[in-house]
Amino acid sequence: MKHKLAAVALLTSLLSTAAWAGPEIVSGPGAEPECFAPWSADTKYMQWPAKEGPYKIAIVNGFVGNTWRIQMIKTAKAYAEDPAIKDKIAEFKVVSTGTDAPAQLGAIEDFINQGYDAIVTIAVAPDGFDRVIRLADKNNVVLVPFDNVLDTDAVMQVNEDQLAMGRTWAEFVLKELKAAGVTGGKVLEVRGLPGNSVDRDRSQGINEVFAADGGNWEMISVVGNWDDGTTQKVVADAIAVHGQFVAVVAQGGSNGVVQALKDAGHPWVPIAGESENGFRKAIAEYRDAGLKGISIGQSPGLVAIAMKAAISALEGNPMPQLISVPLPVADYTTLEDGKNFWSDLPDNFFTVNEFPPCGVNISGPAIMAKDESDVN
Amino acid sequence: MMGRLIAQNRAFAGALALFAALFVTYNLLHPRGFSSAVFVQNANEAVAIAFVAMAQTVPVLMRGLDLSVGAVMTLSACVASYLLTGSGLEISMGILAVLATGTAFGLMNGLIVVHGRLQPIIATLATGAIAIGLALILRPQPGGNVDGDLSWAMTNTVWDLADTYGIAGGGEAWWIRPFADIPMPLVLLFGVALLVWLPFKRTVTGRTVYAIGSAEGAAYVSGLPINRAKLAAFTLAGFFSACAGLYLALQTSTGNADTVQAGAYTLNSIAAVVLGGTALAGGIGGAIASIIGALILRVISFYFRILDIEPLLQPLIEGLVLLLAVSAGAWRTFAVKNRLELFR
Repeated sequence: MKHKLAAVALLTSLLSTAAWAGPEIVSGPGAEPECFAPWSADTKYMQWPAKEGPYKIAIVNGFVGNTWRIQMIKTAKAYAEDPAIKDKIAEFKVVSTGTDAPAQLGAIEDFINQGYDAIVTIAVAPDGFDRVIRLADKNNVVLVPFDNVLDTDAVMQVNEDQLAMGRTWAEFVLKELKAAGVTGGKVLEVRGLPGNSVDRDRSQGINEVFAADGGNWEMISVVGNWDDGTTQKVVADAIAVHGQFVAVVAQGGSNGVVQALKDAGHPWVPIAGESENGFRKAIAEYRDAGLKGISIGQSPGLVAIAMKAAISALEGNPMPQLISVPLPVADYTTLEDGKNFWSDLPDNFFTVNEFPPCGVNISGPAIMAKDESDVN
Repeated sequence: MMGRLIAQNRAFAGALALFAALFVTYNLLHPRGFSSAVFVQNANEAVAIAFVAMAQTVPVLMRGLDLSVGAVMTLSACVASYLLTGSGLEISMGILAVLATGTAFGLMNGLIVVHGRLQPIIATLATGAIAIGLALILRPQPGGNVDGDLSWAMTNTVWDLADTYGIAGGGEAWWIRPFADIPMPLVLLFGVALLVWLPFKRTVTGRTVYAIGSAEGAAYVSGLPINRAKLAAFTLAGFFSACAGLYLALQTSTGNADTVQAGAYTLNSIAAVVLGGTALAGGIGGAIASIIGALILRVISFYFRILDIEPLLQPLIEGLVLLLAVSAGAWRTFAVKNRLELFR
């Protein structure tokens, strides 16, 4: 019994210290609402005690090795040198831990121990960060997950609304199908990396809209891991098995979708996809042949907004707990070479990088064109 | 005496020296210096990979590879995310069930290798996929619930354990003082190594594992229990993988059927085994050496957090350091008396 009491006492003391340190829940509105837009009307606001700058900021990335992540890291480095925030940063470090939860948690804890003020991270799993959140709060460190966020409302997070992205894709495809007089058929859904919150939310959004529609849609799902090569293979397989689809909704690896359709001689149908340059090139080239495409991107530039949000929080401004960055949407009617895609740049490059309302004006092509020494 | 001990365990001594040098330098460079918080963090980060490296060691000692260790760890963690909650008794039973899951999976690997007469590398490639499949059925999405007290106590120091459960006067008793700052993860890791691995190594079955790696034919004609040793080796690998999974679940309070992570752990376990000085050709090395190997692997990546190294160059540098460390172990081959040994 005594043990039980001691455990309870410890737990309460832990809980109460957690309540003393860390952010306070306050009422809105927050700073720069045009940039840090709250996710919904119910989003609460958080406020940390103001700290004197300049700040030590670390980025703890997980997986590294695809174009998106490389573009993200380059954007982070370039943004840290941006005159608007350069003077507010005393130290800036970027590490990638690979897809390894203990290593990522360890890196975050190490930076907390080193006395960093803010840690920006792409979580390798939507869960399991309780310990580092507790430690961050205890030490008044601002932890900002973005892109792959956590299933918690205890930290400030930055993302695009993945559910809305899924819905927008599906709504666009339905609109184009209706316009072409198609009321039913097989729709191919290409999913992302399994076990991931982004994949889950996007897929949920897509399927919700199709299920709510009156049409006779049969959803066929394949897993493309957001990777061009894998996607091309699974789409080719799906075409071989099912013959023909009325539309394709792909979460990523959109270049692979286009290539597989081309190789199989599949007629052009409405396609929803990510923001790869190659996909946008293909839409521009084949839009008159029937490739009615929509391209919405998860921007690598999100990292800059997460950094900006971290600094704003350290300055003591009230911040929305969940910050929604507007979806960068382009479709076959709005694509323009040199503006939202680049015919002279590689296919696997991610087109959306800038967020003017936030003062993030680092254009993707400019970053990728520079070599490392220039970005430094 | 000491000199002979080192001469007989040259690879292990080398690995230990390399680790000590890397770890001391890291702590000297660390802005906050050596502290209990940094030590606990380092230990937490290393435990799962150290257990998986121990798991990999046993099949490697008999010149096999177990490609399912990362997957069995993931499966065990997913099982743990359902069972490590409730009353003290329920949690204890849960821990046993998690360990039993991994051990049973290892036994299955052993049965397939021994009675199915398949190469370990192929058999475990297939069973690893099965383990991940089962983990995905258990946890299609990451989640779960792990007892908060247990998780906190196991991922901090001995003092926190005593304090959380009110034992040894809440951590204030005189006899616990000398151990108070030791991280619990290290207690668990070396506890399992001392209580499970060392006794096993001394049995006939354990020695047969080494004998198979040195010369399977000779071991067979000497009448050693080959099949029993193979079964035991894979079963033990399953048990150590389950320990890794159990710790992973405690550390993250959840289960996550992360395929990529499982693969990364399997590959890193092989690297850790080699770094520790266990020969991939079998017959030489041990699980404790692999713990040191895993610690070296982790410490290398610690450096990126305290030094300014271009982020996109980090994987390259990590690879180069790893190559250097592994090559250092290969010096041994220059001392081989019969060159034909190298081609066996």
